[in-house]
Amino acid sequence: MPIAIGLEGSANKLGVGVILHAPPSTSSPASPPSPHDSAHSDDESAFRQSKSNPPPVQILANLRHTFVSPPGTGFLPKDTAAHHRRWVVRLVKQAMKQARVQVEDIDCVCYTKGPGMGAPLGSVAIAARMLSQLWDKPLIGVNHCVGHIEMGRTITGAENPVVLYVSGGNTQVIAYSARRYRIFGEALDIAVGNCLDRFARVLNISNDPAPGYNIEQLAKNGKVLLELPYAVKGMDVSFSGILARVEELAHRLEKEGSSWTDSASGAPISKEHLCFTLQETVFAMLVEITERAMAHVGANQVLIVGGVGCNERLQQMMGMMASERNGSVYATDERFCIDNGIMIAHAGLLAWEMGFRTKLEDSTFTQRSRTDEVLINWRD
Amino acid sequence: MAASEFPCSLVVDVPLLDHRLASTAMRALQVDAELSPLVRRTFSLVGREDSAGDEEENSTILRTEYSATTNRMLRVAVNGFMESLGVVLQVMEELDVDVLESKS
Repeated sequence: MPIAIGLEGSANKLGVGVILHAPPSTSSPASPPSPHDSAHSDDESAFRQSKSNPPPVQILANLRHTFVSPPGTGFLPKDTAAHHRRWVVRLVKQAMKQARVQVEDIDCVCYTKGPGMGAPLGSVAIAARMLSQLWDKPLIGVNHCVGHIEMGRTITGAENPVVLYVSGGNTQVIAYSARRYRIFGEALDIAVGNCLDRFARVLNISNDPAPGYNIEQLAKNGKVLLELPYAVKGMDVSFSGILARVEELAHRLEKEGSSWTDSASGAPISKEHLCFTLQETVFAMLVEITERAMAHVGANQVLIVGGVGCNERLQQMMGMMASERNGSVYATDERFCIDNGIMIAHAGLLAWEMGFRTKLEDSTFTQRSRTDEVLINWRD
Repeated sequence: MAASEFPCSLVVDVPLLDHRLASTAMRALQVDAELSPLVRRTFSLVGREDSAGDEEENSTILRTEYSATTNRMLRVAVNGFMESLGVVLQVMEELDVDVLESKS
């Protein structure tokens, strides 16, 4: 029963996970609660075994520590890398303890090879290389996007969905074909999460636990839809113009305060209404390009992965579109949609089972790595 | 490469417990190329001065030689090296096989 440890650090979340792949005949796996820093986690979640491909898995440990920068700021590579260096050994130790595995039980050490931020990826890669040598275990370099997709598939049991991968660093619509996760559409400039996070800075919205989470809570109390550009370009989307415009609105709010009122309802414009406006606009764009991809491939399942995938409004809007097409939406909770180590362990173990190895001298990291660069030879 | 092009240099010797640890550290650190073309770096394993006997087993010191075009580039590069070295040492200290075994 292969076991892998996975280290993830491409952005401000440092994740360490230990996963076990059980042969299909064993009894249903249980998932222990994962102690991590998010305040709003829901630790009760049963996941199903899919009838087709993804193997039954046991999450032996899934720990994460997030580097949160002060309100009004974002996380910079240098500080983020320093955070990961401070926490990586501690998290690995805790994960091994929680998983109750010894070094000899582990089959491979998996780490995020890319894409992501350079310095943070580097800190984690160094730790992985050290573990691989000291423990005498093979190294597996994993593509971050593929990690998200494989974890989403396994946790939800979705068989062959169109995947919407949305996070602070990535926005892609993906469909599987002939051993590759092919990118059907993507953000042309900045990721949707990046747009949300940078908007949060202008209004000094807290980054704890994540700016997007706080925008979501504020948006629940907003209902005025102001006008923002809507930038869908065929299969792709663009957010930088929307960000520029919504930042203008935020500055206007700061200047005019409650004297700025909505012309239709007379309600004073507030942070809540701005958050609502931004979410409704960008999420509608994402639903549109996802639907376009579904029409192209004739799929009716959607799997949402990535940090922005935690957003319940996005899940709801996607659900409305999917049910109009007699389809369904699959999403995971924040243990898995926010960057984590278990997805790296999982995707890495899938590759290891096919004989894939990353030689030590090739265990570099890279800021840019396309999702379709990876040969998905564990699927047919 | 002409030494005069990279006049600012520094040698950092890190003494480790044994050859295995020194070699592990070197192999982990040498994977990443230096980011700047204004900096040159070489790694080697050297023996302690008072050591005798088998040469390879006595190479317990990780020697890193930096040379750069300016002192500023040298400082930036060496600082980065120190940060990575910190991770290397901490993993050795807390996660090596013997350490984990004794804790379990």
